[in-house]
Amino acid sequence: MNILDAIQTGLSELLSHKLRSMLTMLGVIFGVAAVIAMVSIGEGAKQEALAQIRLMGIDVVHVRRAIVSGELLDKAQERSPYGLKYSDAGAIQAVCTFAKRVVPLREVYADVKVGEKPMPVKVVGTTAGYAAVSRSNVLRGRFLTDMDIAQNSPVCVLGAAAKRDLFGFDNPIGETVKIGGRLLKVVGVMEPKEIGSAKALSALRDLNSDIYIPITMSLVDFQIYSQQAMPTTLPALRALAAKMLSTQSRGKSPITEIIVQVDSDTATVPTASVIRSLLDRSHRGIRDYEIIIPAELLKQSQQTQRIFNIVMAAIASISLLVGGIGIMNIMLATVTQRTREIGVRRCIGATKWDIIRQFMLEALVITCLGGLIGVALGVGGARAISIYAHWNTVVSMQAIIVSFGVSGLVGVVFGLYPAVRAASVDPIEALRYS
Amino acid sequence: MSLILVRDLKKSYKIGSMEVPALNGVSFIIEEGEFVAIMGPSGSGKSTLMNLLGCLDRPTSGTYVLDSEDASKMNDSARAAIRNRKIGFVFQSFNLLPRMSALKNTLLPMMYANRRKDTAMAKDALNRVGLGKRINHTPMQLSGGEQQRVAIARALVNDPPLIFGDEPTGNLDTATGTEIMSIFQKLNDAGKTVIIVTHEPEIAQHAKRILRFRDGLLESDELVENRLTAVPKPRE
Repeated sequence: MNILDAIQTGLSELLSHKLRSMLTMLGVIFGVAAVIAMVSIGEGAKQEALAQIRLMGIDVVHVRRAIVSGELLDKAQERSPYGLKYSDAGAIQAVCTFAKRVVPLREVYADVKVGEKPMPVKVVGTTAGYAAVSRSNVLRGRFLTDMDIAQNSPVCVLGAAAKRDLFGFDNPIGETVKIGGRLLKVVGVMEPKEIGSAKALSALRDLNSDIYIPITMSLVDFQIYSQQAMPTTLPALRALAAKMLSTQSRGKSPITEIIVQVDSDTATVPTASVIRSLLDRSHRGIRDYEIIIPAELLKQSQQTQRIFNIVMAAIASISLLVGGIGIMNIMLATVTQRTREIGVRRCIGATKWDIIRQFMLEALVITCLGGLIGVALGVGGARAISIYAHWNTVVSMQAIIVSFGVSGLVGVVFGLYPAVRAASVDPIEALRYS
Repeated sequence: MSLILVRDLKKSYKIGSMEVPALNGVSFIIEEGEFVAIMGPSGSGKSTLMNLLGCLDRPTSGTYVLDSEDASKMNDSARAAIRNRKIGFVFQSFNLLPRMSALKNTLLPMMYANRRKDTAMAKDALNRVGLGKRINHTPMQLSGGEQQRVAIARALVNDPPLIFGDEPTGNLDTATGTEIMSIFQKLNDAGKTVIIVTHEPEIAQHAKRILRFRDGLLESDELVENRLTAVPKPRE
């Protein structure tokens, strides 16, 4: 019997018991659909995390102000102000001579005014190295320069979204914006940065709506803590300003983040430990900062992905195993039910091999069809998840091929025994069977 | 060369530790073109002989040569092949596959013959048994006589030299049985060798030669006198 006839026979056998065939397939369908949907979700999350981590750069170490509370807060407040300070950046620079760049960041929130309408924005005080460290490119004009920092120039650079919000499609270069009471000249606009939609790494900010100013200016003119009481009288204000302008107190000013860029991703971990021991000493052991190593996050996320894959493979194997047992069960019942048919086929010339092949093909048709439906359901499910839950899902061809292949394999493995049973039916007995 | 040569054929079955003989050594020759009826009461060994002649089983000892091939020592797949090419089976209970149309049932032996399905040949076989117009009916939609005609067409389709009927009229009324016998006679006239197993003397009377068995032995071997020639009533 040629293979096409055999497949046709198998198909018509399945079609004559539609409900039973469908129920038999269900195990495989759900198994395959679950695998594909889960792999798609995992893959989507992984790619998003990778994109975020790449965005941070893998050759950098982020030192970030940490929120402390309780007992630790009391201890931390003995040092005033607590958290990262501008002087920490200097100390890191002094110790880590191998570092390519040490870039301090001070994020403050201020109202920005173009014309009359005020708008709250995030103002980032930083140095010239920030553009290189954050892999941002200038679209128009220039970024902050060392000169701007040294001279405390009244200039600012707009992120792409900030520029759009403030100026629309107009050219902002040379225009003046009023930020937190100061008039600043716009000298540059950044290229838009792709940020992705994930909240997986909320550590990342949407850089596009930032406005960059020289860090020196942000240290003086802007306060990080809105809750910190500002002096209300003019003399007190002058006194505060004078105090802050002195170099010593400027060093004590809190900053939000220090980005240290090194030569390669392998240098990040040792650099981080150097920074940690340095800061632990100067902060007297109080961990009011955290160190984030994107290269390590990348490794962790790959590790997590591996575990996820193993768990999923286990779940998939179990559901396919259950599906396979269901198929075997039905096939064994079918062999008994069709004993007479087997006898007739043997009598008119079917060899044992013909019978084995017929029953194997029927099992294969069930599992492959189930696999196909499962693939469709899985892909559809992944799409539905990304539409309704706004998760990023990536359907990988590999997952489809592997799960379809495995469902075929299930057909072979669990179809074999019933097929052999069918072939070993004695034709004489089978013809007498009713 | 004779079509069938049986020499000292023996078959016994093991039941527990007991060896139960079913066929105690029979010998006969059937020439090509003969029409033989095999008769005998139950327990006579005729079913056993039937299975052996049909290459469904192997003898314990003795020789069975079918169309110059020694079938007594063949393995399973060789016997499947010889069943497919040399023998057409017709059973008492028709044994058609219930979900297939008459045409597909008729095509079945061709599919196991490893050759191209030849629908024209299958239709021709159905025409020869007078069922040319009902080829797309399933067995459920056909009468007993019609089902048996399909079975005969299926037996014919690979053009075997030997047609085997195991009580082919056992499930049919007398008139229909006569019709079926007329088809067998027609096939025999066209050169096929026909062997039928029956316990109805009247049916056996349609053959040219009767072999009678009793207690696993050949009791008598005689030519039929006053042979009945079945002339079916014209159908309306």
